[in-house]
Amino acid sequence: MSETRADFAIIGSTPLARLVAGLLASAHGKAVVFSGESQSGYRLPRAVDLSVAPITRPESWALLKAGLPEALKLISRVGGRRAWSRIDPIYFSEAPAGKQALAHIRHMALAFGYGAEPVPASAIGPGRDGLLLRDAVLLHRPVLEAGLDRWLDRHGVRRLRDGDALAMRADGSAELVAGNEHVEIGQTVLADDAAILAHVPAALWPPLLARRVTSTIATEPTRPLAAPLMHRLDTGLTLLQQAERGIAAIGPGAIDPFAAALGVLLSREREFRQAGQSSYETVVTADGAPAVGRLRGQGPDVLAGLGPAAAFLAPAIARWLCGVAGAAESAWLGARLVDRKPASSPVAEFGGPA
Amino acid sequence: MKGQPSRLGAEQQPNLTGSAIDRGRPLQFRLDGRLISGFAGDTVLTAALASGIDGAGRRDGASLALSARHAPAISFAALAGDRQRALPMERTPATDGADYLTNARKGNGNPVARLLRRHGRSLDIDLDRPDALARPWLGMPAAAGPEADLVVVGGGVAGMSAALAGARRGLRVVLAEASPRLGGKARFFGTQDGEETPGEAIARLAAAVAEADAIAVLTHAEVFALRPGVARLHQVEMLDGTPAGRIIDLRARHIVLATGALERLPLFPGNRLPGVMGTLEAFELAQFYSIWPGASALVATSSSPAYRLAMLAADAGVAVPRIVDARPRPQSRFIEFSKAYGITLAAGTVIAAAAAAPKGRGLVAMPRLSMEGFSRPEPPIAVDRLLVGGGWQPDLTLWHMAGGESVWNAAGARLEPRHGPSGIALAGSAAGWLSRSACLASGGDAVDMLLGRKRQPVEDRLIDPIYETPDAPAPIGDEPDDTTQPAFLDGGWRHIERPRKRVSRWPGWLPFAPRAPGWSLADMPQPLDIADIAAGVQLGAIPAASAGIVAQERVSMVAVESGEDAPDDSTAPLPLPPAYLAGRYEGATLWLVAPDDARRLDVGALIYPDADETDPLKAIGVVVRIVGDKAVALIAGSAGQTASMREPGRAVGIKLLEPYRPD
Repeated sequence: MSETRADFAIIGSTPLARLVAGLLASAHGKAVVFSGESQSGYRLPRAVDLSVAPITRPESWALLKAGLPEALKLISRVGGRRAWSRIDPIYFSEAPAGKQALAHIRHMALAFGYGAEPVPASAIGPGRDGLLLRDAVLLHRPVLEAGLDRWLDRHGVRRLRDGDALAMRADGSAELVAGNEHVEIGQTVLADDAAILAHVPAALWPPLLARRVTSTIATEPTRPLAAPLMHRLDTGLTLLQQAERGIAAIGPGAIDPFAAALGVLLSREREFRQAGQSSYETVVTADGAPAVGRLRGQGPDVLAGLGPAAAFLAPAIARWLCGVAGAAESAWLGARLVDRKPASSPVAEFGGPA
Repeated sequence: MKGQPSRLGAEQQPNLTGSAIDRGRPLQFRLDGRLISGFAGDTVLTAALASGIDGAGRRDGASLALSARHAPAISFAALAGDRQRALPMERTPATDGADYLTNARKGNGNPVARLLRRHGRSLDIDLDRPDALARPWLGMPAAAGPEADLVVVGGGVAGMSAALAGARRGLRVVLAEASPRLGGKARFFGTQDGEETPGEAIARLAAAVAEADAIAVLTHAEVFALRPGVARLHQVEMLDGTPAGRIIDLRARHIVLATGALERLPLFPGNRLPGVMGTLEAFELAQFYSIWPGASALVATSSSPAYRLAMLAADAGVAVPRIVDARPRPQSRFIEFSKAYGITLAAGTVIAAAAAAPKGRGLVAMPRLSMEGFSRPEPPIAVDRLLVGGGWQPDLTLWHMAGGESVWNAAGARLEPRHGPSGIALAGSAAGWLSRSACLASGGDAVDMLLGRKRQPVEDRLIDPIYETPDAPAPIGDEPDDTTQPAFLDGGWRHIERPRKRVSRWPGWLPFAPRAPGWSLADMPQPLDIADIAAGVQLGAIPAASAGIVAQERVSMVAVESGEDAPDDSTAPLPLPPAYLAGRYEGATLWLVAPDDARRLDVGALIYPDADETDPLKAIGVVVRIVGDKAVALIAGSAGQTASMREPGRAVGIKLLEPYRPD
């Protein structure tokens, strides 16, 4: 049996996971093993990738704004121009707390130079406050994923194949057995919710993280939404306008209650029929903020709670994992370690379930 | 037969007797203004087919066939605006004097076209509209159905067997069957040595079901939603001689799904032209309703029972120029019989494409010899009908809806069930059984499994493959391009097409050469029927390993439980400051602040040390609440301190008045 070594094993199927794996190999010269499925072409989406998010912390806006040109250049190079588009998403709320948060988000976005406009009730329904953000970048996963996989191959990232066995140890190291080959891996990064749920043992599960049942419902064509992407702050429900006027809705709850909630939300203006549905678990943080770093300071790295903008943070995260992040990046990520205490969190965001 | 050109004459059909119709009771009704003739026992659909209507409408310029799985909803003309009263054409009994309208928008709205349509062979529905064949009742609320301990979905031999087993075990049983009659599909598959005939078996079981007081039978009742413990169905019932629809929920601890198998559609351009039909549907139309359009038929299959259909057609005087079989060396008892009929067999051959005949009715089928790596076009064959069979896919639609799992069986080229939810079991060909004896036994076995009783092993007694060649995967013909008819993945109302090949005069390696269109099933705004999934796997659009999970994700699901929106806590006081401001400004507390000039402040506005500062990272506070003409700010400061609050386009001077103490 031949023995080789790798620096990182990245486990996850999201664009963030692929981008981090590819950047570790291409920009930082690391030997990387990647374990993730390529399913965006035929599975229902479980998340959206957007360059903005309903965040209230100025340091988060600053990091996103600073990193966007680098991330977009990389995504364009790897996935081509069809891998993303610019849209004007709408965030809206019906509850007082959500409306209050929207007001904070609007001022924060304006302060960082984003186009942020209130949305009239005629566009989103009475009793709702809305905020439209201009020129956000939406990634198209089915297109991008294929480009990312080719990019990983070009840079020598080893992608797991059927029959390969990857075993992670409690200290974050791992071993890959592929036929007669044995690969010793220095550090594992659990780069999406499914990876965390599958690989973090109960004994290591951090109090900051919680499991949440989430559903996706795709609808048959119905009347167009007020914006290509709409996000309801109160419930965390995201609506994404898809091809041929279908809608993909992603939000908390099992399928039937989620379908009922979606019916209540949409029925004011439109009927819908389900074209697909899926229920699964996601990971949320108690304070609504991202959670990164090694479990208990010495286990595998996790990347959780980064929200829709996760992919745009990939260059900063890759640098941080290699110990070459800038001061602002280190400060931001260092303040959001997974082992922090959730109570009175100094990085809390709106929407934390606690 | 007057007004029914596609109905076989009574003298013409020794075996295709039309057992469901009463030729002594003719009837007439109107459909979209057109006079339709039929007999008592017909459905609206079968009467329309018998009257020569075989097209549903046009999609992207191509005509598509009318069939039991591709028919519009209808309403009484007097109730045309009431979508809640819509009825399924294929399950609504034909009644004399009725006046129906199809619910779908027509393809051509001008008056001349409407007049011509009254004599055409198509319902002329605009199938480009996504809701063209929508079934409005799917979203309607349900009433409670009869109480039951066991619900059996599907009234074929396995379903009847399960219902009888349940009754024997002391359960109250409801047996729901979508079609007008019990019996299922067993008749099509014939008899093995030593078995009773399908007709005898069905008659025996149906008689026992009728005698069992514990079994309530609902026919014309299609279950369209399922969860553990509840099945929701739409039934067409006759109220004072008039068909009416109702939605009911059947609640029971135990549910047996005996939903049978779907016949796969071979994948070739033109596979849904009017005149193309599945062999099973052609058989049922002929046997139950004596319907057979045209005088000639080409049979193209990868499954042996189609030969039986060819022989029945020949008996009825239909010319069958050839049977095209995708299997290279098929063996079957049916094949030997069909040779005796003088029907030519073309083995190892698929239909590459089909097109409408240049003149009049009929089709031109283009066969292609395709065997062991060798491929050669065969001469086109002009016929009135093309009857196609692409093997059988267990109908796991409801199983997936209830959370049941499935995996792809590469050898059988079909999805097969695996783990299922508690309280639900499969029986018959839905469970993957092939022989009638196994289907019969599996009904009782499913009930025993649900009740936790000792189970008897079920065995598929199949004829040795040397004598009876197993089914082959659904044949795949030519890739469609811009010059051909579309190729659909399945015969239902989803209209999922195989992507068309881009023909280019430029070599593919040139950067500006047209690329193959991406095929993302994830973006398709329609559910994928289980046969769509199977075809997607065959065409490489869905990895075999993911077929089961995709089938579960993309099943056409209807919400059953009524849910409520998230509880509204809008009356609860908002925390001040909100959690997302914790630790934002070092040493900050809540202050009542007032603007220098009279203006309303804005929640979320950032506060800076002076009007020149605009960097949000250097903000010293934020407005968190409006109180009259003042505001509450989170800021570190002291009474009388001034600061600058930034609103869009301008800075506003503010003064800290006093610490804010909420009442």
